[in-house]
Amino acid sequence: MPEQIPADSNLSRVSTELSPWSVSNFTATLKDWITKLGNVWVEGQISQISPKKDVFFGELRDLVADKGVSIHSRRPDVLSSISELAAGDRVVALVHPDFWERSGKTSMDVLAIRKVGLGELLERIERLRQQLIKEGLTLAERKKPLPFLPNLIGLITSAGSDAEKDVLQNSKLRWPEVRFKLQHTPVQGDKAGPEIIKAIELLDADPEVDVIILARGGGSFQDLLVFSDEQVVRAVANCKTAIVSAIGHENDRPLTDEVADLRASTPTDAAKTVVPDVVEERKKLAQAIERINLRVITFVRNQLELVAGIRTRPIFANPFTLVEERALQINQARQGIFSQLDNHIQKQQLLVSGLRAQVRALSPKLTLDRGYAVVRDTNGHVLTDPAQTSSGNKLTITLAGGELQATAD
Amino acid sequence: MTENNKDIAAMSYEQARDELVKVVAELETGSTSLEESMRLWERGEALADRCEQWLSGARDQLEKAAKAKKSGS
Repeated sequence: MPEQIPADSNLSRVSTELSPWSVSNFTATLKDWITKLGNVWVEGQISQISPKKDVFFGELRDLVADKGVSIHSRRPDVLSSISELAAGDRVVALVHPDFWERSGKTSMDVLAIRKVGLGELLERIERLRQQLIKEGLTLAERKKPLPFLPNLIGLITSAGSDAEKDVLQNSKLRWPEVRFKLQHTPVQGDKAGPEIIKAIELLDADPEVDVIILARGGGSFQDLLVFSDEQVVRAVANCKTAIVSAIGHENDRPLTDEVADLRASTPTDAAKTVVPDVVEERKKLAQAIERINLRVITFVRNQLELVAGIRTRPIFANPFTLVEERALQINQARQGIFSQLDNHIQKQQLLVSGLRAQVRALSPKLTLDRGYAVVRDTNGHVLTDPAQTSSGNKLTITLAGGELQATAD
Repeated sequence: MTENNKDIAAMSYEQARDELVKVVAELETGSTSLEESMRLWERGEALADRCEQWLSGARDQLEKAAKAKKSGS
Protein backbone atom coordinates (compact mmCIF):
# COMPACT_ATOMS: atom_id res chain seq x y z
CA MET A 1 0.00 0.00 0.00
CA PRO A 2 1.37 3.48 -0.78
CA GLU A 3 1.77 6.00 2.02
CA GLN A 4 -1.53 7.46 3.12
CA ILE A 5 -2.16 11.12 2.62
CA PRO A 6 -4.71 12.63 4.98
CA ALA A 7 -8.10 13.27 3.42
CA ASP A 8 -8.12 16.93 4.41
CA SER A 9 -4.75 17.63 2.76
CA ASN A 10 -4.73 19.58 -0.49
CA LEU A 11 -1.88 17.48 -1.75
CA SER A 12 -2.33 14.64 -4.22
CA ARG A 13 0.07 11.95 -5.17
CA VAL A 14 -1.33 11.34 -8.65
CA SER A 15 -2.28 14.79 -9.91
CA THR A 16 -1.87 18.50 -9.27
CA GLU A 17 -4.21 21.46 -9.15
CA LEU A 18 -2.76 22.68 -12.42
CA SER A 19 -3.05 19.34 -14.19
CA PRO A 20 -6.22 17.65 -12.74
CA TRP A 21 -7.57 14.34 -13.92
CA SER A 22 -10.61 14.23 -16.05
CA VAL A 23 -13.64 12.48 -14.44
CA SER A 24 -13.37 9.65 -16.97
CA ASN A 25 -9.74 9.19 -16.10
CA PHE A 26 -10.74 9.21 -12.42
CA THR A 27 -13.59 6.72 -12.82
CA ALA A 28 -11.42 4.50 -14.97
CA THR A 29 -8.74 4.52 -12.32
CA LEU A 30 -11.35 3.78 -9.60
CA LYS A 31 -12.73 0.89 -11.61
CA ASP A 32 -9.22 -0.39 -12.11
CA TRP A 33 -8.47 -0.22 -8.36
CA ILE A 34 -11.73 -1.77 -7.28
CA THR A 35 -11.73 -4.63 -9.75
CA LYS A 36 -8.17 -5.44 -8.77
CA LEU A 37 -9.53 -7.04 -5.58
CA GLY A 38 -10.83 -9.90 -7.70
CA ASN A 39 -13.43 -12.46 -6.65
CA VAL A 40 -14.39 -12.70 -2.97
CA TRP A 41 -16.57 -15.16 -1.07
CA VAL A 42 -18.81 -13.14 1.24
CA GLU A 43 -21.36 -14.18 3.80
CA GLY A 44 -24.25 -11.93 4.64
CA GLN A 45 -27.93 -11.40 4.78
CA ILE A 46 -29.76 -10.64 1.60
CA SER A 47 -32.24 -7.76 1.56
CA GLN A 48 -34.10 -5.49 -0.85
CA ILE A 49 -34.51 -8.02 -3.57
CA SER A 50 -35.81 -6.46 -6.76
CA PRO A 51 -36.00 -9.29 -9.20
CA LYS A 52 -36.47 -8.52 -12.83
CA LYS A 53 -36.59 -10.76 -15.78
CA ASP A 54 -32.97 -10.68 -16.79
CA VAL A 55 -31.29 -8.62 -14.13
CA PHE A 56 -31.18 -8.59 -10.33
CA PHE A 57 -30.42 -5.74 -7.99
CA GLY A 58 -30.23 -6.11 -4.28
CA GLU A 59 -28.32 -5.53 -1.09
CA LEU A 60 -26.12 -7.81 0.97
CA ARG A 61 -25.94 -6.77 4.59
CA ASP A 62 -23.64 -7.75 7.42
CA LEU A 63 -25.08 -10.35 9.79
CA VAL A 64 -24.44 -8.19 12.83
CA ALA A 65 -23.17 -4.74 11.98
CA ASP A 66 -25.20 -2.11 10.19
CA LYS A 67 -23.20 -2.35 6.97
CA GLY A 68 -24.04 -3.41 3.47
CA VAL A 69 -23.13 -3.41 -0.21
CA SER A 70 -25.15 -3.33 -3.38
CA ILE A 71 -25.26 -6.47 -5.43
CA HIS A 72 -26.43 -7.25 -8.91
CA SER A 73 -26.31 -10.02 -11.44
CA ARG A 74 -27.31 -10.85 -14.97
CA ARG A 75 -26.25 -14.47 -14.87
CA PRO A 76 -29.15 -16.86 -15.47
CA ASP A 77 -27.92 -19.44 -12.94
CA VAL A 78 -27.57 -16.71 -10.28
CA LEU A 79 -30.99 -15.30 -11.19
CA SER A 80 -32.58 -18.71 -10.76
CA SER A 81 -30.85 -19.15 -7.35
CA ILE A 82 -31.98 -15.71 -6.23
CA SER A 83 -35.57 -16.39 -7.27
CA GLU A 84 -35.68 -18.99 -4.50
CA LEU A 85 -34.36 -16.60 -1.84
CA ALA A 86 -36.33 -14.33 0.47
CA ALA A 87 -35.23 -11.12 2.11
CA GLY A 88 -33.39 -11.86 5.36
CA ASP A 89 -31.91 -15.12 4.11
CA ARG A 90 -28.37 -15.86 5.02
CA VAL A 91 -26.27 -16.39 1.95
CA VAL A 92 -22.74 -17.07 0.83
CA ALA A 93 -21.92 -15.41 -2.44
CA LEU A 94 -18.95 -15.22 -4.76
CA VAL A 95 -18.84 -11.59 -5.80
CA HIS A 96 -16.73 -9.53 -8.08
CA PRO A 97 -16.48 -5.85 -7.08
CA ASP A 98 -17.61 -3.69 -9.96
CA PHE A 99 -17.58 0.02 -10.50
CA TRP A 100 -20.06 1.67 -12.73
CA GLU A 101 -18.43 4.56 -14.39
CA ARG A 102 -21.67 6.02 -15.60
CA SER A 103 -23.08 6.62 -12.07
CA GLY A 104 -19.89 6.33 -10.03
CA LYS A 105 -21.37 3.61 -7.88
CA THR A 106 -19.87 0.36 -6.77
CA SER A 107 -21.85 -2.79 -6.90
CA MET A 108 -20.91 -6.41 -6.54
CA ASP A 109 -21.41 -8.61 -9.48
CA VAL A 110 -22.70 -11.87 -8.10
CA LEU A 111 -21.00 -14.81 -9.81
CA ALA A 112 -22.54 -17.46 -7.58
CA ILE A 113 -24.90 -17.40 -4.63
CA ARG A 114 -26.34 -19.99 -2.32
CA LYS A 115 -28.34 -19.99 0.85
CA VAL A 116 -26.37 -20.99 3.90
CA GLY A 117 -27.81 -24.38 4.76
CA LEU A 118 -29.15 -25.44 8.13
CA GLY A 119 -26.50 -28.13 8.43
CA GLU A 120 -23.80 -25.61 7.72
CA LEU A 121 -25.18 -23.15 10.27
CA LEU A 122 -25.43 -25.90 12.86
CA GLU A 123 -21.89 -26.94 12.12
CA ARG A 124 -20.67 -23.38 12.47
CA ILE A 125 -22.54 -22.93 15.74
CA GLU A 126 -21.12 -26.21 16.99
CA ARG A 127 -17.62 -25.05 16.08
CA LEU A 128 -18.17 -21.82 18.02
CA ARG A 129 -19.59 -23.84 20.95
CA GLN A 130 -16.40 -25.94 21.04
CA GLN A 131 -14.31 -22.77 20.85
CA LEU A 132 -16.23 -21.26 23.79
CA ILE A 133 -15.78 -24.47 25.79
CA LYS A 134 -12.05 -24.42 24.99
CA GLU A 135 -11.83 -20.82 26.23
CA GLY A 136 -13.51 -21.88 29.48
CA LEU A 137 -16.46 -19.52 28.97
CA THR A 138 -18.98 -22.27 29.71
CA LEU A 139 -17.42 -23.49 32.99
CA ALA A 140 -19.74 -23.85 35.94
CA GLU A 141 -17.38 -21.94 38.27
CA ARG A 142 -17.63 -18.97 35.92
CA LYS A 143 -21.38 -18.73 36.52
CA LYS A 144 -22.33 -15.93 38.86
CA PRO A 145 -25.03 -16.62 41.44
CA LEU A 146 -28.34 -14.85 40.99
CA PRO A 147 -29.40 -12.42 43.73
CA PHE A 148 -32.01 -13.93 46.05
CA LEU A 149 -34.23 -10.87 45.82
CA PRO A 150 -33.25 -8.78 42.79
CA ASN A 151 -33.05 -5.04 43.28
CA LEU A 152 -33.56 -4.03 39.65
CA ILE A 153 -33.95 -6.54 36.84
CA GLY A 154 -32.61 -5.56 33.44
CA LEU A 155 -34.80 -7.00 30.71
CA ILE A 156 -33.68 -7.12 27.09
CA THR A 157 -36.42 -8.10 24.70
CA SER A 158 -38.43 -6.73 21.82
CA ALA A 159 -41.05 -4.11 22.60
CA GLY A 160 -44.53 -5.47 23.21
CA SER A 161 -43.50 -9.07 22.60
CA ASP A 162 -45.03 -12.10 24.28
CA ALA A 163 -41.63 -12.75 25.85
CA GLU A 164 -41.74 -9.36 27.53
CA LYS A 165 -45.31 -9.91 28.75
CA ASP A 166 -44.44 -13.40 30.02
CA VAL A 167 -41.49 -12.14 32.05
CA LEU A 168 -43.26 -9.08 33.45
CA GLN A 169 -46.55 -10.78 34.29
CA ASN A 170 -45.03 -13.87 35.88
CA SER A 171 -42.60 -11.77 37.88
CA LYS A 172 -45.32 -9.47 39.21
CA LEU A 173 -47.47 -12.47 40.06
CA ARG A 174 -44.69 -13.80 42.27
CA TRP A 175 -43.55 -10.47 43.67
CA PRO A 176 -45.79 -7.44 43.09
CA GLU A 177 -43.01 -5.01 44.10
CA VAL A 178 -40.53 -6.29 41.48
CA ARG A 179 -38.73 -3.57 39.47
CA PHE A 180 -37.54 -3.75 35.87
CA LYS A 181 -35.32 -1.68 33.65
CA LEU A 182 -36.44 -2.41 30.11
CA GLN A 183 -34.21 -2.32 27.04
CA HIS A 184 -36.17 -2.86 23.86
CA THR A 185 -34.20 -4.22 20.93
CA PRO A 186 -35.00 -6.10 17.76
CA VAL A 187 -34.47 -9.80 18.46
CA GLN A 188 -33.93 -10.91 14.89
CA GLY A 189 -32.65 -9.43 11.70
CA ASP A 190 -29.47 -7.55 10.92
CA LYS A 191 -30.05 -4.83 13.55
CA ALA A 192 -30.64 -7.25 16.43
CA GLY A 193 -26.99 -8.13 17.19
CA PRO A 194 -25.56 -4.65 17.70
CA GLU A 195 -28.67 -3.48 19.59
CA ILE A 196 -28.57 -6.45 21.94
CA ILE A 197 -24.87 -5.93 22.60
CA LYS A 198 -25.50 -2.24 23.30
CA ALA A 199 -28.36 -3.12 25.66
CA ILE A 200 -26.23 -5.65 27.57
CA GLU A 201 -23.43 -3.11 28.00
CA LEU A 202 -25.84 -0.40 29.09
CA LEU A 203 -27.54 -2.59 31.72
CA ASP A 204 -24.20 -4.03 32.87
CA ALA A 205 -22.97 -0.49 33.52
CA ASP A 206 -25.98 0.35 35.72
CA PRO A 207 -24.99 -0.40 39.34
CA GLU A 208 -28.65 -0.71 40.32
CA VAL A 209 -29.22 -3.61 37.95
CA ASP A 210 -28.17 -6.84 39.65
CA VAL A 211 -29.54 -9.35 37.18
CA ILE A 212 -30.24 -9.21 33.44
CA ILE A 213 -32.73 -11.32 31.51
CA LEU A 214 -32.21 -11.73 27.81
CA ALA A 215 -35.58 -12.95 26.54
CA ARG A 216 -37.08 -13.90 23.23
CA GLY A 217 -40.11 -15.98 22.42
CA GLY A 218 -40.08 -19.03 20.24
CA GLY A 219 -39.18 -18.81 16.58
CA SER A 220 -37.58 -20.65 13.73
CA PHE A 221 -33.97 -21.73 13.91
CA GLN A 222 -33.01 -18.77 11.76
CA ASP A 223 -35.01 -16.38 13.91
CA LEU A 224 -32.90 -17.34 16.91
CA LEU A 225 -29.57 -17.21 15.08
CA VAL A 226 -28.57 -13.84 16.52
CA PHE A 227 -28.38 -15.51 19.94
CA SER A 228 -25.66 -17.75 18.60
CA ASP A 229 -23.79 -14.90 16.97
CA GLU A 230 -20.25 -14.82 18.25
CA GLN A 231 -20.26 -11.15 19.21
CA VAL A 232 -23.58 -11.38 21.03
CA VAL A 233 -22.44 -14.55 22.79
CA ARG A 234 -19.17 -12.90 23.87
CA ALA A 235 -21.05 -9.85 25.11
CA VAL A 236 -23.14 -12.17 27.31
CA ALA A 237 -20.00 -13.99 28.49
CA ASN A 238 -18.26 -10.70 29.35
CA CYS A 239 -21.25 -9.28 31.18
CA LYS A 240 -20.25 -8.68 34.82
CA THR A 241 -23.84 -8.65 36.03
CA ALA A 242 -25.54 -12.03 36.42
CA ILE A 243 -27.35 -12.71 33.16
CA VAL A 244 -30.08 -15.18 32.31
CA SER A 245 -30.58 -16.46 28.78
CA ALA A 246 -34.25 -17.16 28.07
CA ILE A 247 -34.51 -17.76 24.37
CA GLY A 248 -37.27 -19.61 22.55
CA HIS A 249 -38.63 -22.87 23.85
CA GLU A 250 -37.34 -25.76 25.90
CA ASN A 251 -35.63 -27.39 22.89
CA ASP A 252 -33.83 -24.30 21.64
CA ARG A 253 -30.19 -24.15 22.64
CA PRO A 254 -28.67 -20.91 21.34
CA LEU A 255 -25.09 -20.29 22.44
CA THR A 256 -26.12 -17.52 24.83
CA ASP A 257 -27.55 -20.38 26.91
CA GLU A 258 -24.05 -21.83 27.25
CA VAL A 259 -22.27 -18.73 28.49
CA ALA A 260 -25.06 -17.08 30.45
CA ASP A 261 -24.98 -17.49 34.22
CA LEU A 262 -28.29 -19.29 34.04
CA ARG A 263 -30.27 -20.84 31.22
CA ALA A 264 -34.03 -20.54 31.40
CA SER A 265 -36.03 -22.70 29.02
CA THR A 266 -38.58 -19.96 28.35
CA PRO A 267 -39.17 -16.31 29.32
CA THR A 268 -41.77 -17.53 31.87
CA ASP A 269 -39.18 -19.86 33.34
CA ALA A 270 -36.73 -16.92 33.56
CA ALA A 271 -39.25 -14.95 35.61
CA LYS A 272 -39.74 -17.92 37.93
CA THR A 273 -36.00 -18.40 38.33
CA VAL A 274 -35.03 -14.79 38.87
CA VAL A 275 -37.97 -13.66 41.00
CA PRO A 276 -38.66 -15.62 44.17
CA ASP A 277 -42.31 -16.34 44.78
CA VAL A 278 -42.64 -13.71 47.45
CA VAL A 279 -46.41 -14.14 47.57
CA GLU A 280 -45.95 -17.85 48.27
CA GLU A 281 -43.09 -17.19 50.69
CA ARG A 282 -45.20 -14.69 52.59
CA LYS A 283 -48.00 -17.23 52.77
CA LYS A 284 -45.59 -19.86 54.11
CA LEU A 285 -44.20 -17.34 56.58
CA ALA A 286 -47.69 -16.51 57.81
CA GLN A 287 -48.40 -20.22 58.19
CA ALA A 288 -45.17 -20.75 60.08
CA ILE A 289 -45.96 -17.88 62.43
CA GLU A 290 -49.43 -19.27 62.97
CA ARG A 291 -47.96 -22.65 63.82
CA ILE A 292 -45.48 -21.11 66.22
CA ASN A 293 -48.29 -19.19 67.90
CA LEU A 294 -50.37 -22.34 68.18
CA ARG A 295 -47.45 -24.23 69.69
CA VAL A 296 -46.80 -21.52 72.24
CA ILE A 297 -50.48 -21.21 73.12
CA THR A 298 -50.78 -24.98 73.53
CA PHE A 299 -47.65 -25.07 75.63
CA VAL A 300 -48.83 -22.28 77.88
CA ARG A 301 -52.26 -23.88 78.20
CA ASN A 302 -50.75 -27.23 79.16
CA GLN A 303 -48.53 -25.58 81.72
CA LEU A 304 -51.48 -23.68 83.16
CA GLU A 305 -53.41 -26.93 83.50
CA LEU A 306 -50.43 -28.54 85.13
CA VAL A 307 -50.10 -25.72 87.63
CA ALA A 308 -53.86 -25.74 88.28
CA GLY A 309 -53.60 -29.49 88.91
CA ILE A 310 -50.82 -28.98 91.38
CA ARG A 311 -52.77 -26.24 93.10
CA THR A 312 -55.67 -28.60 93.81
CA ARG A 313 -53.36 -31.06 95.60
CA PRO A 314 -54.08 -31.26 99.40
CA ILE A 315 -50.91 -29.51 100.33
CA PHE A 316 -51.90 -26.44 98.26
CA ALA A 317 -55.64 -26.73 98.81
CA ASN A 318 -55.03 -26.48 102.57
CA PRO A 319 -51.48 -25.42 103.26
CA PHE A 320 -52.37 -25.26 107.00
CA THR A 321 -52.09 -29.05 107.14
CA LEU A 322 -48.36 -28.48 107.04
CA VAL A 323 -48.55 -26.67 110.37
CA GLU A 324 -51.62 -28.35 111.71
CA GLU A 325 -50.15 -31.83 111.57
CA ARG A 326 -47.12 -30.70 113.45
CA ALA A 327 -49.17 -28.68 115.91
CA LEU A 328 -51.25 -31.77 116.54
CA GLN A 329 -48.14 -33.81 117.20
CA ILE A 330 -46.84 -31.20 119.60
CA ASN A 331 -50.22 -31.00 121.30
CA GLN A 332 -50.22 -34.74 121.74
CA ALA A 333 -46.71 -34.57 123.11
CA ARG A 334 -47.81 -31.80 125.44
CA GLN A 335 -50.84 -33.84 126.55
CA GLY A 336 -48.52 -36.75 127.12
CA ILE A 337 -46.28 -34.62 129.24
CA PHE A 338 -49.29 -33.30 131.16
CA SER A 339 -50.69 -36.72 131.83
CA GLN A 340 -47.26 -38.07 132.71
CA LEU A 341 -46.70 -35.24 135.10
CA ASP A 342 -50.21 -35.59 136.47
CA ASN A 343 -49.63 -39.27 136.93
CA HIS A 344 -46.36 -38.60 138.63
CA ILE A 345 -47.91 -36.01 140.90
CA GLN A 346 -50.75 -38.34 141.82
CA LYS A 347 -48.33 -41.12 142.63
CA GLN A 348 -46.27 -38.78 144.70
CA GLN A 349 -49.35 -37.48 146.48
CA LEU A 350 -50.36 -41.04 147.23
CA LEU A 351 -46.89 -41.73 148.47
CA VAL A 352 -46.83 -38.60 150.61
CA SER A 353 -50.27 -39.25 152.13
CA GLY A 354 -49.21 -42.84 152.79
CA LEU A 355 -46.10 -41.62 154.52
CA ARG A 356 -48.13 -39.08 156.45
CA ALA A 357 -50.50 -41.86 157.56
CA GLN A 358 -47.53 -43.94 158.62
CA VAL A 359 -46.05 -41.03 160.51
CA ARG A 360 -49.35 -40.55 162.30
CA ALA A 361 -49.84 -44.19 163.01
CA LEU A 362 -46.41 -44.47 164.54
CA SER A 363 -46.63 -41.15 166.40
CA PRO A 364 -48.27 -40.57 169.74
CA LYS A 365 -51.25 -39.16 167.90
CA LEU A 366 -53.41 -42.24 168.29
CA THR A 367 -52.72 -42.19 172.02
CA LEU A 368 -53.69 -38.54 172.09
CA ASP A 369 -56.88 -39.43 170.23
CA ARG A 370 -57.84 -41.65 173.09
CA GLY A 371 -57.78 -38.65 175.51
CA TYR A 372 -54.18 -38.71 176.64
CA ALA A 373 -52.26 -35.48 176.66
CA VAL A 374 -48.59 -34.64 176.43
CA VAL A 375 -47.33 -31.80 178.58
CA ARG A 376 -44.16 -29.94 177.62
CA ASP A 377 -42.28 -27.04 179.12
CA THR A 378 -41.28 -23.92 177.24
CA ASN A 379 -38.19 -25.70 175.99
CA GLY A 380 -40.36 -28.39 174.43
CA HIS A 381 -39.25 -31.09 176.93
CA VAL A 382 -41.96 -33.60 177.78
CA LEU A 383 -42.90 -33.51 181.48
CA THR A 384 -43.25 -36.93 183.01
CA ASP A 385 -43.04 -35.75 186.72
CA PRO A 386 -44.68 -32.68 188.42
CA ALA A 387 -41.31 -32.05 190.02
CA GLN A 388 -40.00 -31.17 186.59
CA THR A 389 -41.81 -27.85 186.81
CA SER A 390 -42.75 -25.31 189.43
CA SER A 391 -45.65 -23.00 190.14
CA GLY A 392 -46.08 -20.23 187.59
CA ASN A 393 -44.25 -21.99 184.78
CA LYS A 394 -45.73 -21.96 181.33
CA LEU A 395 -46.80 -25.37 179.99
CA THR A 396 -47.83 -26.61 176.58
CA ILE A 397 -50.45 -29.38 176.59
CA THR A 398 -50.76 -31.28 173.34
CA LEU A 399 -54.18 -32.82 172.81
CA ALA A 400 -55.47 -34.76 169.85
CA GLY A 401 -57.19 -31.61 168.54
CA GLY A 402 -54.23 -29.26 169.03
CA GLU A 403 -52.07 -27.50 171.57
CA LEU A 404 -53.26 -25.79 174.73
CA GLN A 405 -51.22 -23.23 176.67
CA ALA A 406 -51.40 -23.50 180.52
CA THR A 407 -49.65 -22.32 183.64
CA ALA A 408 -48.65 -24.56 186.57
CA ASP A 409 -50.34 -23.60 189.94
CA MET B 1 -44.85 -25.31 163.27
CA THR B 2 -41.96 -25.45 165.66
CA GLU B 3 -38.72 -23.58 165.18
CA ASN B 4 -36.85 -26.81 164.44
CA ASN B 5 -38.66 -27.37 161.18
CA LYS B 6 -37.82 -24.01 159.54
CA ASP B 7 -35.25 -25.61 157.22
CA ILE B 8 -38.01 -27.59 155.50
CA ALA B 9 -39.30 -24.49 153.68
CA ALA B 10 -36.06 -24.35 151.67
CA MET B 11 -36.12 -28.04 150.76
CA SER B 12 -36.70 -29.40 147.25
CA TYR B 13 -39.46 -31.95 146.83
CA GLU B 14 -37.01 -34.85 146.65
CA GLN B 15 -35.16 -33.73 149.76
CA ALA B 16 -38.43 -33.39 151.69
CA ARG B 17 -39.80 -36.71 150.44
CA ASP B 18 -36.56 -38.61 151.17
CA GLU B 19 -36.48 -37.23 154.67
CA LEU B 20 -40.15 -38.06 155.17
CA VAL B 21 -39.32 -41.69 154.25
CA LYS B 22 -36.48 -41.57 156.78
CA VAL B 23 -38.84 -40.15 159.49
CA VAL B 24 -41.25 -43.05 158.90
CA ALA B 25 -38.38 -45.55 159.10
CA GLU B 26 -37.15 -44.00 162.36
CA LEU B 27 -40.63 -44.08 163.93
CA GLU B 28 -41.01 -47.69 162.81
CA THR B 29 -38.02 -48.78 164.83
CA GLY B 30 -40.23 -47.88 167.91
CA SER B 31 -37.11 -47.35 170.00
CA THR B 32 -37.50 -43.63 170.18
CA SER B 33 -38.57 -41.72 173.29
CA LEU B 34 -41.93 -40.01 173.46
CA GLU B 35 -40.26 -36.69 173.15
CA GLU B 36 -38.34 -37.86 170.08
CA SER B 37 -41.53 -39.46 168.70
CA MET B 38 -43.34 -36.14 169.12
CA ARG B 39 -40.50 -34.32 167.31
CA LEU B 40 -40.39 -36.88 164.48
CA TRP B 41 -44.16 -36.77 164.15
CA GLU B 42 -44.22 -32.99 163.93
CA ARG B 43 -41.31 -32.99 161.46
CA GLY B 44 -42.99 -35.73 159.45
CA GLU B 45 -46.19 -33.65 159.24
CA ALA B 46 -44.16 -30.62 158.16
CA LEU B 47 -42.26 -32.64 155.54
CA ALA B 48 -45.52 -34.10 154.22
CA ASP B 49 -46.95 -30.56 154.08
CA ARG B 50 -43.88 -29.42 152.11
CA CYS B 51 -44.23 -32.31 149.72
CA GLU B 52 -47.90 -31.64 149.13
CA GLN B 53 -47.21 -27.98 148.72
CA TRP B 54 -44.69 -28.87 146.00
CA LEU B 55 -47.05 -31.27 144.27
CA SER B 56 -50.10 -29.02 144.38
CA GLY B 57 -47.92 -26.17 143.11
CA ALA B 58 -46.77 -28.35 140.20
CA ARG B 59 -50.34 -29.33 139.40
CA ASP B 60 -51.47 -25.73 139.53
CA GLN B 61 -48.75 -24.81 137.06
CA LEU B 62 -49.75 -27.70 134.82
CA GLU B 63 -53.37 -26.66 134.82
CA LYS B 64 -52.49 -23.08 134.26
CA ALA B 65 -50.37 -24.06 131.25
CA ALA B 66 -53.15 -26.22 129.84
CA LYS B 67 -55.65 -23.44 130.29
CA ALA B 68 -53.32 -20.89 128.63
CA LYS B 69 -52.81 -23.24 125.72
CA LYS B 70 -56.54 -23.73 125.29
CA SER B 71 -57.44 -20.05 125.42
CA GLY B 72 -54.37 -19.11 123.36
CA SER B 73 -54.96 -21.29 120.29
